[in-house]
Amino acid sequence: MDDANQLQRGSRAMRTPLTLCALVLVSLPAAAQWTEFPLKNVPRLANGEPNLSAPAPRTSDGRPDLSGVWWVRPSTDANGNPGQPRFFINLAADAKPGEVTMLPWALAFVKEQVTTLGKNHPVSKCLPPGVPLSYTAGAPFKIVQTPDLVVMLYEYSNSFRQVFLDGRGLPRDPQPVWVGYSVARWEDDTLVVETAGFNDKTWLDGIGHPHTEALRVTERLRRRDFGHLDMQITIDDPKAYEKPWTALIPAQLATSTDVMEYVCVENEKSLQHMVGK
Amino acid sequence: MAVSIVRPTLVLFACVLFAAVCQAQWLSSPSPGIPRLADGKPDLNAAVPRTSYGKPDLSGVWRRAADDTHSTTFLASGLGEIPLQPSARELYNRRLAVDGAGRPAERCLPHGLPLDMMFREAPFRIVQTPALTVILLEMFNRFRQVPTDGRSLVPDPQPTWLGYSTGRWEGDEFVVETVGFNDQTWLDNRGLPHSDALRLTERFKRLNVGRMDLTFTIDDAKAYTRPWSVTMKFELLPDTDLLEYMCDNEKWASTRAQPR
Repeated sequence: MDDANQLQRGSRAMRTPLTLCALVLVSLPAAAQWTEFPLKNVPRLANGEPNLSAPAPRTSDGRPDLSGVWWVRPSTDANGNPGQPRFFINLAADAKPGEVTMLPWALAFVKEQVTTLGKNHPVSKCLPPGVPLSYTAGAPFKIVQTPDLVVMLYEYSNSFRQVFLDGRGLPRDPQPVWVGYSVARWEDDTLVVETAGFNDKTWLDGIGHPHTEALRVTERLRRRDFGHLDMQITIDDPKAYEKPWTALIPAQLATSTDVMEYVCVENEKSLQHMVGK
Repeated sequence: MAVSIVRPTLVLFACVLFAAVCQAQWLSSPSPGIPRLADGKPDLNAAVPRTSYGKPDLSGVWRRAADDTHSTTFLASGLGEIPLQPSARELYNRRLAVDGAGRPAERCLPHGLPLDMMFREAPFRIVQTPALTVILLEMFNRFRQVPTDGRSLVPDPQPTWLGYSTGRWEGDEFVVETVGFNDQTWLDNRGLPHSDALRLTERFKRLNVGRMDLTFTIDDAKAYTRPWSVTMKFELLPDTDLLEYMCDNEKWASTRAQPR
């Protein structure tokens, strides 16, 4: 098991941000056997460890192949122990002052969640986390790339997204849904995913950055090398923010594990134990 | 008897119909790669498409065919006597007595297999790649992974709702073996039970572009006295797509499906 996966296993056991701990407890008994499944076709160093700095693989049509199991690695504390996945808590964790300017109602909404300790977070009720929260929880996600269709499988939400590369455009005035409608195009070696048609029921992160149905998410996904996927996620929602803002989220390849089943269950029983206003 | 069975189904239909009306553009995107007739319509009788590695390509949006005789409320139709073990018979009778109230889906939990693939109103998409086949279920927006990378089933896995699957090719049939189920799901909507010893074998046999036979074999010595199989007909849904169907209000759902 490589270092990244050591940390990953640790982080899965320790991810307890906000009131989301109840959900995490449900997910703890992961199936150990399949979580340790070494990937084939991984370039390796002389010592047998995966060479994560090797060039990104390409598909037969010459595009970068983003396929693989990825995860957003939680930051580590002073002792090197895994901490909380900071983008999960605050998608704007790296934003400079003035970059994320909330409209007054949005600011009030975030302040309210401080007093409720996140008790009202949709995921506390087993509702779908949506985009980008499905990426940032510290649980792995899998990209399955084909020429016409890219599929994202999220362990955290136990749900999927379809990203169409078959030339279709985004639907006009669609029925709002939890994970939106996604289409993508290649800009050189970057897969640019545009998603719209969200409902307004998900939060962008744990502290409660809100969005409306006007949200449009642009993800620029670039596999920098074999082991690293740079995700540039732009939030454009003029009904919640004065201007679009962007989070740069690095994901790492998980070389010896898989996306496991994670079904959020019995939420009403968990919710009654939660504190907060 | 029909009341509590029919009601959730109607609710589901309402969701689907509503979504269908609003999603016309997304629903009518032409599927790439489908052979077409001179008038541009999909040629559903054309030969089975094949991958670059020579195996049938099962990729596409599928649902149980209109002429399939099975039902989501009774998986074992046509089987005659169901070979239930006594304890499983007792459990099944208890569920029948309340018309299947208490089924996992009332709480937004997975229906389980094979039920999650049987709903005509909620199709599934197969995405086939050389080392991994993914089955995207419109029903509750969940997914199955079927690795074909040579890994074997684990001997004593942590039980899960949809199990652990591996796939292999036997000639032109794609054979999927799944174990590691919990005992929480039902085989059908009236509560035909299974235990955590369930071993499910699925044989996918694509007949042409438009049709596929899928045989489910239930092997569960704790619940049945012998393995038994059903073969269902599936049809390709060309030029359309899955919609998002999240089960997003557990309380709401459960208040609408009470035992009588």
